[in-house]
Amino acid sequence: MEKFDVVVIGGGPGGYPAAIRAAQLGARVALVEKELVGGTCLNWGCIPTKTLLACSELYWHAKHGSDKGVSAKDISFDYAAMAARKDSVVEKLRTGVGQLLKGNGVTVLEGLGSFENRNRIKIVKGTETTQVEANGTIIATGSISAVPGFIPKHERVLESRGFLGLTRLPASLLVLGGGVIGCEFACMAAQLGVKVTIVEMLEDILFMLDTDVRREVRRRMEQEFGIRILTGKPLEKIKADASKVSGSFGDEALSADMLLVSVGRRPVSQELNLAAAGLAANEKGFIPVDAYCRTAAATICAIGDVTAGSTQLAHAATAQGVTAAENLLRPKRVAAETLVPACIFTSPEIGSVGMTEQAAKQKNVPVVVGKFPFAALGKAMTMGDTAGFVKWLADEKTGRLLGAHAVGPHATELISQAAVAIRAELTVDELGRTIHCHPTLSESWMEAAHAVHGECIHAAPKRKAK
Amino acid sequence: MAQIVEMPKLSQTMEEGSIVKWRKKEGEPVKKGDIIFEIETDKAVIEVECFFEGTLLKIIVPEGQVVPVAATVGFIGTPGEKLPDVVPPPAPAPKAEPAQAQPAAAPAAAAQATSAAPAPSGMAQPRAKPAAPSAPARLAISPRARALVKVSAIDPSRIKGTGPGGRIVEEDVEAYLQQHHYADLKISPAAKKLAISEGVDILRVKGTGTSGRIMTHDVERAVAEKPKAMSKMRQVIAQRLTESFTSTPHFYVTVGADMTGLMTFRQELKAAGKTFTVTDFILEAVILSLKEMPIVNSYTDGRSTMWRGTVELGMAVALEQGLVVPVIKNAEDLSMTELHDVSQGLAARAREGKLLPDEMTGSSFTVSNMGMMNVENFHAIINPGEGAILAVASTIPQPVVRDGKIVIRSIMKMTLSVDHRIVDGSNAANFANLVKAKLEDVQLWKSLTL
Repeated sequence: MEKFDVVVIGGGPGGYPAAIRAAQLGARVALVEKELVGGTCLNWGCIPTKTLLACSELYWHAKHGSDKGVSAKDISFDYAAMAARKDSVVEKLRTGVGQLLKGNGVTVLEGLGSFENRNRIKIVKGTETTQVEANGTIIATGSISAVPGFIPKHERVLESRGFLGLTRLPASLLVLGGGVIGCEFACMAAQLGVKVTIVEMLEDILFMLDTDVRREVRRRMEQEFGIRILTGKPLEKIKADASKVSGSFGDEALSADMLLVSVGRRPVSQELNLAAAGLAANEKGFIPVDAYCRTAAATICAIGDVTAGSTQLAHAATAQGVTAAENLLRPKRVAAETLVPACIFTSPEIGSVGMTEQAAKQKNVPVVVGKFPFAALGKAMTMGDTAGFVKWLADEKTGRLLGAHAVGPHATELISQAAVAIRAELTVDELGRTIHCHPTLSESWMEAAHAVHGECIHAAPKRKAK
Repeated sequence: MAQIVEMPKLSQTMEEGSIVKWRKKEGEPVKKGDIIFEIETDKAVIEVECFFEGTLLKIIVPEGQVVPVAATVGFIGTPGEKLPDVVPPPAPAPKAEPAQAQPAAAPAAAAQATSAAPAPSGMAQPRAKPAAPSAPARLAISPRARALVKVSAIDPSRIKGTGPGGRIVEEDVEAYLQQHHYADLKISPAAKKLAISEGVDILRVKGTGTSGRIMTHDVERAVAEKPKAMSKMRQVIAQRLTESFTSTPHFYVTVGADMTGLMTFRQELKAAGKTFTVTDFILEAVILSLKEMPIVNSYTDGRSTMWRGTVELGMAVALEQGLVVPVIKNAEDLSMTELHDVSQGLAARAREGKLLPDEMTGSSFTVSNMGMMNVENFHAIINPGEGAILAVASTIPQPVVRDGKIVIRSIMKMTLSVDHRIVDGSNAANFANLVKAKLEDVQLWKSLTL
């Protein structure tokens, strides 16, 4: 039986970096993958959706460029071509990952991995079964779209992965669930002319974000893209037939060509046979881990979407994968990073890291807030993209930066600067004194830091409240 | 003419007190009967009512500072009124002529000043008090040096001064920083800011960030670990317990009372509308036993024995801030019903923080009941001024032998601590068994409660 120092189960954005990191540290590493390396993120998630969004945005801007003096007639798009481009981007990246694994000497074992015991992994591919010995194991099996039982099984009802396989868009789309995935797909489809309706059971879409952030996104989605957003009640009596999908929202009957189910993702842990390793998932199927990515078994780590308390973000899984590999192979343990920036590719985009205002209020943390609108920023005006703002949350006493939120042009790029500042425990004053290039969108962070003390150069002074 | 607000004298023994909290702010109107501040004496925290009507013009004594009784702590009058000049009484050494401008308060204040002033140098101080936290010894340091100390977040008292008279000058601070490789220190900006505002010496904080960088949570830990001044009440508890435990030879004897019969009887009483707590029975059993064995009700200072003709029964009440012992005066004169009412009243007032100091002094014997804390047995420390204390543990069903058979009975262990200088072992054993016998004598309780 072949022996490995580290066996990684799952080759997604958490698993393959874990395997590479372990190999870099000199370990004999195997990566078990049941489908395609790159996992959900690369094949059916982050990468394909962003590729399609790049297309839909280009189309949208081409159609709406007249205010910048650019007008084009007879603009059209070919969704099949967009989908083909998406496939080629995905394939290119996937080939790259395969080469990286190979270059680092990682053995890729195709098949479904599960535990035989704590140190033995069984890999099943079709009728073939192999077993390998593992000194250490990293579980990185990720998550899949949750599709509740009351949703009919029908070709007009899709979750995100199924939707990405389409080569033709529906004329109308009903989106169940106004979370990150639902909103991103809604924006993409609406930009390409699909009539979109989102139904969200909570009182607002993207509910984990502060109200002011949500308001900005909702405004463009509704007013510019014509997306209908229905909140506060569930979509009931969902039916699908040969001609349409229908359901009811309160008293109102809704119907569309297609239903996208985006009500969350559930962990992939059932097939692991955790009990054989002396482990158990929690009642929702997530695997509990400590700050060092360790499960209850000393030699088994778990990372990413499959773990309890996960943010379900690819980059968090990547960071944890690297940490898990290091913790298995090095004598000194380090805790996984807990400051995880989040990016949402709606239009306008959203970037968010650290504490939100609503969380600060809930936890009774005294904070000061500095906010700067893109409408007052030179670069945003030159781009003709002035919706949104950035804001800082800082500790009232020390000025320590605690949270940052951006909604607007390139917000997903902007947020990483804020993550660096928060992780380094910079204060508002230091950030405000850092020279930022002009004219750039990044300047907004500097201005927002000034705004904490009401000392913006490029905003009218606040009238003293009295 | 503004009215002077003084530190009140709340008991015969009270010499000083500190204001824990001003309930009124400067400039706020006050009425007669309003709670103006809370003071902490060596016994408890007490709310003080205002005797005047007007506006709180000035607070002289800030929260936390210990001042003698009758010292001026503030003024009440009409806004805009000119206030007499007062020197806020510094805690360690009041000036020889404090508050000349206030004839009414002067004699008392002067009298206090002599008694509270520390003994002249060279003489031993009988009871050295810790300096009030609000008034640390002044450090000789130049303004420039102090500014550098502040922005560096270091403790200046560790720096050796080379200026005139050992004054710390800027160069000393610079040398100190260099000596401690301050420039090599890695510290996050937010952590440094927090250290400055919390007065944490950054050189004594261990960094746990990447390559030893000092992060906010490191400073937060240092803040949490900083020594904090004990409350006046805790200081007194510490002093008294240490004094008793180190100077009194404690002797312990433990008995287990079978409470089964009494528990049943108590339920019968309850059903008949007469409610007594278990504590009531314990207290009464102790009172009766003390009357029979007065030696346990007396105490010694090591030279003579002090006999007491009455039972002044202390009952320990646990509060969040510490333990208080209200005293049931002349306990031997009370009927069971009266005993119940008095002890309930004292315990309730103790929990509300409304006991007066005189209600907490003069006990001759104490009962400490931890029955509700689920303990099998414990030993209590004798209160100074007493010769014994009874520690009562929880009543627990236990297998015991009765008439040659193992049966389950409700057993309550009690441990008597006695001052072995006046109470011999046999006396202690007899007393403990006396209390036990009374608790087990249901006929006795029938006669006392009917």
